[in-house]
Amino acid sequence: MTTESREHLSCLMDGEISRETGRFLVRRLGADQELCATWARYHLVRDCLRHQDGRLVGNGLSSRVRRAIDNEAAPAPSKRWSASWLKPAAGMAVAASVALLAIVAVGPGGQSQLPAGENAAGVAAAESFTTPQALTPLPVSQQASLSGQSADNNRMNAYLLRHYQATGATSGRGFVTFVPIVIRPSAVQPVSASVTDDTQSEAEPDQAAER
Amino acid sequence: MMNLQAAKRLLAVVCLTWAGLAVAGSDDDPEAWLERMSTAMSQMSYQGTFVYVQGEDVVTMRITHVSGDSGVRERLVSVSGAPREVLRDSSGVRWVLGDDHSVLQDQGFNRTFFPQLPLDQQGQARRSYALKLAGVSRVAGQSVRNLIVLPRDEYRYGYSLWLEEHSAMLLKWELIDSDHKPLAKLMFTDIRMGAEVDSSELQPSSQLKKFKTVESRLPIGRGLSSSQPRWRPSSVPPGFELTAHRYFGQKDHAIFEHLVYSDGLAAVSVYVESEVSSADQHSGLSRLGTTHAFSRIGDGMSITVVGDVPAITVKEIAEAVAPAVN
Repeated sequence: MTTESREHLSCLMDGEISRETGRFLVRRLGADQELCATWARYHLVRDCLRHQDGRLVGNGLSSRVRRAIDNEAAPAPSKRWSASWLKPAAGMAVAASVALLAIVAVGPGGQSQLPAGENAAGVAAAESFTTPQALTPLPVSQQASLSGQSADNNRMNAYLLRHYQATGATSGRGFVTFVPIVIRPSAVQPVSASVTDDTQSEAEPDQAAER
Repeated sequence: MMNLQAAKRLLAVVCLTWAGLAVAGSDDDPEAWLERMSTAMSQMSYQGTFVYVQGEDVVTMRITHVSGDSGVRERLVSVSGAPREVLRDSSGVRWVLGDDHSVLQDQGFNRTFFPQLPLDQQGQARRSYALKLAGVSRVAGQSVRNLIVLPRDEYRYGYSLWLEEHSAMLLKWELIDSDHKPLAKLMFTDIRMGAEVDSSELQPSSQLKKFKTVESRLPIGRGLSSSQPRWRPSSVPPGFELTAHRYFGQKDHAIFEHLVYSDGLAAVSVYVESEVSSADQHSGLSRLGTTHAFSRIGDGMSITVVGDVPAITVKEIAEAVAPAVN
């Protein structure tokens, strides 16, 4: 299965897929067993993660998919033939996936449940936020996002926001990527002469790696 | 003949055994932990308070992330300092700039217009990072496993990640440079997951009604992705590969091109835009927190490279951008 197919499945799960692509994907789910299995596996993982109280999830999925298909605007007549006979098959495939998920109920001892109490066996001492090593200053440069509405600032802010959306939210770090635009920016620093000089930074020479 | 109930029980046992084996087998696999973290961060519902330290900035923030039937809804808000927040859902993102009493909105962006980045696809990250699992510890009252991701060169940052043992949810994060020195840290002080999340916190603060909303001026929609980039860097640092591309514009008209390069973990955006006057553009290196940007004017085009990578990476990529030779 291609990376693109996995991406589309992921988007379909998140409700972030276009109607055309979603419809195409549902059709494929009716015929592609591997895709169907991946779809089921994604839901199993998500349901394990999302519902830690052990209740069954996904029971209404097939009906939701069917409703979504029914609510789709009717396509052009010339294309109708393909959707009309594939729809029930796709619906059944999704329903089969859901049935599998419904059987594999997430029990109270599922992955997301944590050991009760803070003194669980094998747990080391609590992590301290402070470390013996100070944070290394970043190279000297100019702050990218500043207050004010200059054209340059607006453009850079738009670039940053688009970058975080396109990469951060889906590159595994989630909300962490957006943190820089929420923190308080420090004072504007002069533009560096060269990056090479910057990377030799103001780091303390005796700072040792923290491990 | 086996009745339906017995068949279901058998199937459940088989599936749970399979799932158990899969989890057990991944316990000592750093790449599996990375993938689980990615799934947890996007698919799980969670809510908590964390402290972020970078340079002299120490900011307390609150995150509410709800993954539901209508997709992901998220609100990240600063509890201390200037009132800033980021609101995100399937329709786009709003960045609240409390200092300016304004909201920058990019509602036209849709993830399906920009393919999801492959996190550590086919071990891509292995080429650029050394991954290793360290010890067990405790953060925000939860048992966590430490995963260390060390960069193999100066073109990317590394990470020390503390992941909740069962869900792999990220509870502590440390950004480190190529010399393994910490640059920024984030740690939850309390966290709630799953059904305990109070989704009412997704509501933006009431003061937003008084703020001015500014739409992002960047092009929206699908653009063109199948065609080859018109502009692209002639070379990129080792490990980085083109993972997404969108082109907006027609011949003899203003163009806007957005390319994304990734090494499996870090990502860099390359923006190429026409009709930006040099007077409106700062050239050189800029920084926001740990995000670097490098801008220049070349061949009449504005070129800006943005990424959560060291300055040298954005600079080298930006300086290599030229009309593509196809």
